[in-house]
This record gives sequence, structure tokens and C-alpha cells, in this order.
Amino acid sequence: MGDHLLEVTGLKMYFYTRDGVVKAVDGVSFVLDKGETLGVVGESGSGKSVTALTMMRLTPMPPGKVEAGDAKFKGRSLITMKEDEIRKIRGNEIAMIFQDPMTSLNPVYRIGRQIAEPLVIHKGMSKKDALLRAVELLRLVGIPNPEQRVKDYPHQFSGGMRQRAMIAMALACDPDVLIADEPTTALDVTIQAQIIELMQELQKRTGSAIIMITHDLGVVADMADRILVMYAGRPVEYGTTDEIFYKPMHPYTWGLMDSIPTHSLVEKSALNPIKGQPPSLIDVPSGCAFHPRCPYAQQRCTDEIPEYRIVEGTHGTACHFAGDPGFVRRLVENAGVKA
Amino acid sequence: MSEYDRQESRNEDHGIEDSHSGLPAMPPMTDAESHIHDDQESRTLWGDAWRRLRKNRLSIIALVWLTIVVVSAISADLWVPKTLGDPRAIDSSTVMANQLKDSSFSHPLGTDDLGRDILGRLIYGARASLTVGIAAVAISVIIGLLLGALSGFYGGAVDSLIMRITDVFLAFPYILFCVLILAMLPSSARGIGPVIVSIGLLGWPSFARLFRSSVLSVKQNDYVDAGRAVGASDSRLMFRHIMPNAIAPIIVYATMSIGGTILTEAALSFLGLGVQPPEISWGRMINDGRNYLIGNHPGLVFWPGLAIILTVLAFTLLGDGLRDALDVKMKD
Repeated sequence: MGDHLLEVTGLKMYFYTRDGVVKAVDGVSFVLDKGETLGVVGESGSGKSVTALTMMRLTPMPPGKVEAGDAKFKGRSLITMKEDEIRKIRGNEIAMIFQDPMTSLNPVYRIGRQIAEPLVIHKGMSKKDALLRAVELLRLVGIPNPEQRVKDYPHQFSGGMRQRAMIAMALACDPDVLIADEPTTALDVTIQAQIIELMQELQKRTGSAIIMITHDLGVVADMADRILVMYAGRPVEYGTTDEIFYKPMHPYTWGLMDSIPTHSLVEKSALNPIKGQPPSLIDVPSGCAFHPRCPYAQQRCTDEIPEYRIVEGTHGTACHFAGDPGFVRRLVENAGVKA
Repeated sequence: MSEYDRQESRNEDHGIEDSHSGLPAMPPMTDAESHIHDDQESRTLWGDAWRRLRKNRLSIIALVWLTIVVVSAISADLWVPKTLGDPRAIDSSTVMANQLKDSSFSHPLGTDDLGRDILGRLIYGARASLTVGIAAVAISVIIGLLLGALSGFYGGAVDSLIMRITDVFLAFPYILFCVLILAMLPSSARGIGPVIVSIGLLGWPSFARLFRSSVLSVKQNDYVDAGRAVGASDSRLMFRHIMPNAIAPIIVYATMSIGGTILTEAALSFLGLGVQPPEISWGRMINDGRNYLIGNHPGLVFWPGLAIILTVLAFTLLGDGLRDALDVKMKD
């Protein structure tokens, strides 16, 4: 199994706070191969971002602590390697795009200098060469007039342009893995579509693998090869995009699908949200964390934590009833009634 | 339309521009876009700050006054002795002839009890006052930045230790402690150097605290995480990403502190613990002239007093203007 580009196994990240232990990531596993796209989906606070930050070792430690598990990149553990080794990987082999482009660029430096920074750090380029490369990168991400624009400060860029600049910075060193942490959440809908398209286009060109963290299934539907659905820090379902969309097994995944608004010109239909709130990570419900919100919950769900298990091929889930034909029928019927 | 509104509306312009500037196949730039761009081409952060500072009339008056003081103090050796006479002279042959003159063409502010031109002495006094002000604050700033940066950046035990030391230093009665240090020195060792060192070594705690809090707030910003995520080392993060964003309050406070330090130096020299004759400082001049205050020659105290007031006020006003000019939120 050592031949995957990135392999995360049973990763647990706990934060020891005054109020108790926050199990932000609780046993996440996935693999990522070259040129592939993994979508990580879940509500706010489901541990998507912390999973990514843990792999990059960017979580504050303490209070955070990797409780168990590992994340291997090209066979080397990102969790146990020395600080200066992981620093050589950050921005170079694994790059990251952050959620809010308005705050992710340093206001005191020109755009060009910021895009050039990873090149100066990792490739030992001179400032001048790095700036020339920054112009090329800006052109690549579709900023008009890049020769002029590299001299701008971030406040002279709009949100969409800043996110493009962030993407340019992330791509500067041709990373093998690009982690995009809700890259479109802070943007207008029209710009969102552009950014997604841009990322797909650039992936084709550079062949880098992408981890797309989002709470929007629609964003990953097009892009992802595999999808990991998370809930309360735990993986609830993991499989190929087709498996997740056409054969979802976990009631939470069903709920997510069901809550996507449908376009219908003839019939008005009410949104169908998942009832209730995601749990606090300090006080995760007993048994299956989803049971208080699950319409199919039974006594067993309150008592026993469902183990994540492979049900079919690579498609796995953490639900007691997954794979039970009667249960699947109920899910389908119920969804049918609602729709 | 306020500055803020204008900023907003320009952002919107960019938003629209961006939404149809699309993906790699770019439509040509419109005139409006290139205009917006030209407008901002030459802007730098310091350029912006300078433009905002220029609009503040009081700051500019302060800056002009300080420039006059600094330039005349620096160039003093070139012209003062020739035109106004030796300000340090204690030549008994000229004392009687020139003693305590009122203002005249050759002595614009009159002369002191030893027949020396007061204007000339003020100009030389400015050297000591400015040197002490700037050098002592520089020492405080360097120590304060270093400790504040360590404290704010690393937090935890380092932070606790440094901040407790800071608390202890802040608990010292500042001037009294300077007096104590200087009074322990033999009078032959007194002078400008010990004043600078003692003020500098006692002044850093407020800078450390201020910079620590500034670093703490800047550290929260996403761009610091983003910097870490591109592989920047701790020192690079501190000096390249955090420091430039956290330094503004220090610049402001340092500018204002120079004024305060000039006052401290004046007080110490007045007490005879600072600059020793024949060297001149404004505090020293007030001390020397105090016997004539009640008599017919208040100028001996008045002029150096006025110089202190104006200069301290100028540093405070300049600091005030810098605070507004360097405030990123007021960026137009």
C-alpha cells in the first residue's frame, strides 16, 4: 500500500482545551493518487479543515495533539518528520489555498512578491527571476495585464482576483498535492464557477492531485474522483464520486443529497434540510454521532459506535445498517416520498 | 463621499471587472480598467502613508519645526560660533561686557549670565536633547521589539517569563530610578551617555508590551498561516509577515516617546544629574538660569523652556499624525 501519493490512515487530532477534549479529527483515512481529486465534504465543524491542517502540521500544537494515525506522503510520514523537513514540503510539494482570499494575502507586500515567495524559499530563485515567474503564473490564472498587476497591492485586487493570485502562489512550485480549503466559499456565485473551472483546467495542465474541501456537494460533483463525507470529525462515507452520488449508503449522505436545492420551473418545492444542528465536538453524542438527527436511528445507534467498514469494492461507510437491503429500500422510499 | 465609501466603490468596480474578465482567454482590458490601474500604479504603502500625513496640517507644522531644530543642530558648528559666539565660553574677559544682555541684533534672544548668546546655546542644547531623545528611545525600541516579538510569537512559557519581567520593570518609578542610577555615578562620569543608557534601559517595557499585543493580533491573520503554508520559517514569518504589519503602533509610540524622553533628560539635567557644564542641554540651561527667573532676566529660563515645550509638542503631534497615516483601516 506504500505506492500512493498521499495515504492517511486512522488520523486523530484532538485538542486539549480547558473545557474538555475536542476530537476535531477522529479516525480519518483516505488515499490520494497522482492527478486525482478528492472531495472532502461535511458541515461546518466536521473536521474537514483540521484534517488538512493536520497533514500540513499547521494546527497549533499544543493544544492540539495527533492522538493516533499517520499521513504518509510519498512514503514519508508527515506527522513525525522534523519541522525543517515539513517546511520543505509546505508550499513546494503540498500547497494550500485558503478559504478567504480577502485576508490570506499580506496587505503590505505587492502581489508579485507574494507569489514569488515560495519560489524564493524553495527553488532558491533570485527575486528578479521569481518575479518574472510570478508574471507567468498570474497570466496562467487569468489575471489580465499581469506585467502591471504584479506591482499591485492586495487591496487593489477584488476577491476573485485575489483567489486567483492565491492559486498562482499555490501552483508556483508545481506541487504534487494542492489542498483547497473551501476556496470558493467567500466568493460570489459567478466567481465560484470561474475558480472551479480554473482549478480543473490547471489540474489538467499540471497533473497535480487536489484535495477539495467544501460543504457544497455541487462543487465536488464535477471535479472529484473520490469523495470523503465527514461528520463530527469522523468519516461517515468514502467512495468514488459515482458511488457517493448514485449509491449513497449513510443516512447523512442521503440527507446531504436531499438538501441540495433542485431546479424546477414547474413545481415549487421546499428545501429539505437535515434537521437539527451538528454536535459540539467536545460533547459528541454516544454511539453514532449522527443518531440524534438520523430519521432511521434505533437503540443500537445510541449504544454502539458504528465501525467504518468497506461495503462494496472501495466504497465504505460507518453505519450499522449499511448494505442491509431492507434499509436501503427504506432510504430510497423515504427520499422518493419527500421528492 | 468619505474615504471609506470611495474604497468600497472601487472594490465594486474591481468585482465587476473581474466577473467578466473570465478564464485564460481574456477579453481586452477596458479603458475604465486601465484607468483605475494607472491611478494606483505608483502607490506604495509608505507612499500612501506619506500622502495621508501631508493632509494633516498640524503634523506638517510639527515636521517643519523638527526639521528646523534638527538641521540647525546638525549644522551648528558651521555657523553658530562665527555669528553668535562660542556658546560654551567661560572666558572671564568677555563676561562682564556681554552679561545678561537683552535681545539685540547680534544676540536675538539676549545673553546669559556668562555673556553667551542664548540662541546659540539653544541650538547646541538641541543636540543633547535630540541625541538623548532619539538614542534612548532607540535602545528602548530595540529591546522592546525583541522581547515583544519573542513573547507574542512564541507565547506560552516564554511569554509568561518575559511579561513578568516587563511587569517588574513597569513597577519601577521611572524617573526616580534614573535619578538613583545617575546619582550613584561619580560626577566626572556623568554626561549624555549614562543618561541615554539609563533612560533606554528603563523605557523598553511599554514597547515590549505594545509590540507583543500587536504581534498577537497580527498573528491571527490568515496571511500568516498562508505564509507558513508556503514553507516560511519562523524568522521569515516574524520579520517578513508579522513585523511590517505590527510595527505601526511602535513607530507612533516611539515618536511620542522621543518628546517624553527629552522631558526626562531636561529634568535630569535640571537636577544636575545629566549633561555637565560646559556641555549644554535645555534642562541644563533652565537649571543655570533659575536664579535669574525672579529678576529681570526670565529669558534664561523662558527660551529653553519654550524650546522644550515646542519640541515635545511637535513630537507628540507628529506621532498623532503618524498614527492616522499608518492606520491601514483608513487606507483610501
